[in-house]
Amino acid sequence: MYEERITTIIEGPAQDFDIVVRITREEDIAVARQMAKQLAQEIGFSLADVTRIATAVSELARNIYRYARQGRIMIRKRLEDRDSPGIEVIAADRGPGIPDIELVLTRGYTTWERSLGIGLSGVKRLMDSFAIHSEVGKGTVVITEKRRRTF
Amino acid sequence: MMSFEDRVVPIMQVNGYLLVPIQIDLDDRTVGLLQQQLLKEIERTRAKAVILDVRMVEVIDSYISYTLSETAAMARLMGCRTVLCGIQPPVALTLAQMGVVLQEVTVARNLEHALVLAGSFQERDRGV
Repeated sequence: MYEERITTIIEGPAQDFDIVVRITREEDIAVARQMAKQLAQEIGFSLADVTRIATAVSELARNIYRYARQGRIMIRKRLEDRDSPGIEVIAADRGPGIPDIELVLTRGYTTWERSLGIGLSGVKRLMDSFAIHSEVGKGTVVITEKRRRTF
Repeated sequence: MMSFEDRVVPIMQVNGYLLVPIQIDLDDRTVGLLQQQLLKEIERTRAKAVILDVRMVEVIDSYISYTLSETAAMARLMGCRTVLCGIQPPVALTLAQMGVVLQEVTVARNLEHALVLAGSFQERDRGV
């Protein structure tokens, strides 16, 4: 069931998303960040939220590049709720997986030498919802969402 | 001397300080090059302080933050302080929410304040 989910997300049709960025090179991190920013602006997010979303995507893309070498960032508008449209960001990879999710969500914890250890916990703080599925040896999927605030 | 392609920012010398307006998108490679360029310029000019103006920077994530702090720590070992100014409100908000602490970096309100701070370091280092 779980594996099916990762496969569906990684190999699923790209047309389900507004943006799909394959992360294979370091430059792709900035590309994903830039595209997320554009889409968030299109949806009408405030500048503060656009910055939060772009930063979160930057963190997610870098995690893919660092730990899994390659994967995908997939982003789509969520317009079902007219009063509060949103943006969904999915980061998926078939990397080594995370043995202890609670540990990696601990602020300051990192296995990377040059890192503050606040990437994933930061994403969780910046976005409205955050779910992570990971299995050692299989891969990791992070699903997050941000809703536009109604004024 | 660095090759021209490796220079990612203009660096100006003012009163023994290095003034560095960052007007490019800081991707991972660029932020690494920025670090190298700054350290080389600090060595070459024996600058007492470097002022980084990030007014034009729209996203500062955890890795950029880490690298800026690391650069400041390196500069400090070379006798040079680092002052950051011009952090945009949405960037400040994001950094605060993520809990980023920019170690070794002194933050100024604006360029004027940055120059005042840089001057105060100089006096302190001289023992005035």
